[in-house]
Amino acid sequence: MIYEEPRFLPGGDRYVLIEFGNEMNLELNFTAQGLADAIEQNRIGWVVETAPCFASMLVHYDPQQIRFADLKKEMMSLIGSLGPSEEIELDSRLFYLPAVYLDPWTKEAVDDYRAKIKEKPWDPEFVAELNGLSDVQQFARVHSGTEYWVASLGFWPGLPFMMPLDPRCRLTAPKYNPPRTWTPQGTIGMGGMSTAIYPVATPGGYQIFARTPVPIWDDKQRFPVFSESIVLFRPGDRVKFIPIGVEEFEYLEKTVADGTYPYNLVEYQRFSVRNYKRWIETLDPNQRF
Amino acid sequence: MLEVIKPGLETSVQDYPGRIGFWNQGFPPSGPMDSWSFRLANVLVGNEPGAAALECQFVGPTLKVQRDGVIAVTGADMQPKLDDQPVAMWESIAVRAGQTLALSFAKVGARAYIGIAGGIATTPWLGSRSTFHKAGVGGMDGHALKAGQAVPVGEAAGKPGRRVKESARPPIATDKRWTIEAVPGPNDDWIDEAGHERFLSTDWKLSSKSDRTGFRLEGPDWTFTEKAHNKTPEHGAEPSNIIDQGYPLGAINLAGQTPIILVNDGPSMGGFINPYTVPLCAFWKLGQSKPGDVYNFKAVDVDEAQAISARIRDLCTETSIE
Amino acid sequence: MAEEVMTETPGNMWKVLVKPGDEVQAGETLFIMEVMKTEVPHAATSGGTVKAVHVTEGQEGVDAGIVAVEIE
Repeated sequence: MIYEEPRFLPGGDRYVLIEFGNEMNLELNFTAQGLADAIEQNRIGWVVETAPCFASMLVHYDPQQIRFADLKKEMMSLIGSLGPSEEIELDSRLFYLPAVYLDPWTKEAVDDYRAKIKEKPWDPEFVAELNGLSDVQQFARVHSGTEYWVASLGFWPGLPFMMPLDPRCRLTAPKYNPPRTWTPQGTIGMGGMSTAIYPVATPGGYQIFARTPVPIWDDKQRFPVFSESIVLFRPGDRVKFIPIGVEEFEYLEKTVADGTYPYNLVEYQRFSVRNYKRWIETLDPNQRF
Repeated sequence: MLEVIKPGLETSVQDYPGRIGFWNQGFPPSGPMDSWSFRLANVLVGNEPGAAALECQFVGPTLKVQRDGVIAVTGADMQPKLDDQPVAMWESIAVRAGQTLALSFAKVGARAYIGIAGGIATTPWLGSRSTFHKAGVGGMDGHALKAGQAVPVGEAAGKPGRRVKESARPPIATDKRWTIEAVPGPNDDWIDEAGHERFLSTDWKLSSKSDRTGFRLEGPDWTFTEKAHNKTPEHGAEPSNIIDQGYPLGAINLAGQTPIILVNDGPSMGGFINPYTVPLCAFWKLGQSKPGDVYNFKAVDVDEAQAISARIRDLCTETSIE
Repeated sequence: MAEEVMTETPGNMWKVLVKPGDEVQAGETLFIMEVMKTEVPHAATSGGTVKAVHVTEGQEGVDAGIVAVEIE
């Protein structure tokens, strides 16, 4: 449900969580990101930082500059000035990320889990069946057939939570219970309706089925894309996975190791919610690649 | 410059308020857990209250001073000694090149802070010198101090013989019991009345599985309102599951039935509810508590919590020095 | 030479490696505590025979500054 009016929920003495709704709906994230953008453009002095999430936005404010009671009023006025979500337009970078689907490394991690923790079907088979797909090849085709919208980053620094922009590529999958104790670096996985990329080898609960050799985290800042941070993504980025084979993965791994890998980043586009909504109306969401 | 002879359990460079502005990339602020003691250590040696200093946890370090200067030790009493002679806590002390400062373990409290005139001068990273060891950034090469390292220190004179008034020091509990302020929200409407009453009347025990990422609490199960049981499937299967949301610093995060207070190095978002949030003014209590200590939570509203913060901020100034 | 080995940190008693009657050498690890997911080994400074052990493996919530092992 999209709320008629956003809810303002206090988080201790410095934070407020603004809830726009309670469903996984891209529109709610567009609103959250539109608001974050407006706050920055308007240089709102009492906001220390913001963090958008799927259907909400966390605001860290300075209590020395604004009282909690006044904060809601100020925010509502800013939200009002945004207009309907259709009006939102955001600069949006696009990353092409090569990835091996149905790869041996995530399979090894799943096999390890099955041997040590709990029996389960191989993740791509599990997700394919759950979503009524004919086989794992179709799953790979469907998952890689869309741009992913970076809705938020967190749980681990630089870990992006992404949503498929093409409704024909929507999939769903429950998380592991209990979670895995490790996941290979660069793993691509799904939990609920979101897709994530693991920046380093962390524990995790998403269903895993692909791997990219391209670092999304670079604490030595060896590549130019990391000049401003050690983390690749920002909310509002888009990612398109380009399926490759194991041989190409190993080749790219070498270019990453020697620092010559050229990131494939497209940086001239502006994401228009109006155009996006017009486009998805032309699509049959039940069609599958 | 300070040479690390013994690193202690986990000693790290921190500054206050820490690494701010990168929450949306998943970076927590890090910084000192007991910012009250931390800021006073800096004020004693003549630094800005937020200057970089050392946080010592449970077992303190042994450091060799390489240059004349002024230091101060605040927080938990780790029985600091200079060349084997006991020196006072909460006081600025002259140190000379070649002397050794040794901190032992804390019998009362958990964290001590070593401030040094000039401040710790490691290279800031994303605007802060605070150490975030999970990601290996900030501080000394992204991690806690290691034996043999040379910790760089800025240039400044400092004055010895300054002392923090007793009334201005945080009252560290000696009976292992703490009353911790908690502001209801963001997700307080997911817990039923009985659940709220239980939370506020229980003796919660701090688990030893606690660290700067999260403080895990042991106690009774939580009970939920309709909202937690009747929700769309994308929220997740457990009553405490919610669509992934941003986590405020200090959130009492309910992972299944386990409450974990998210502290300085904790995750910035996730899929569990936060029925209460510990305000930053109470973090010094978290910072000085030890596994096995008992927490009783007291509900306060936002204004009350902010007022306490303001009082502590006013205490971390020259007015507290005699 | 008699020695009282005290706990240097609060935490759990992760491993207790000696029992009364054991011969130990200087520097030998007697017990390992665990706090903040970090192991803190405690060693004998001098050698001798273990006279008493006041802690048990798996014990939780042990205080800092208590006598854990006595050596004579």
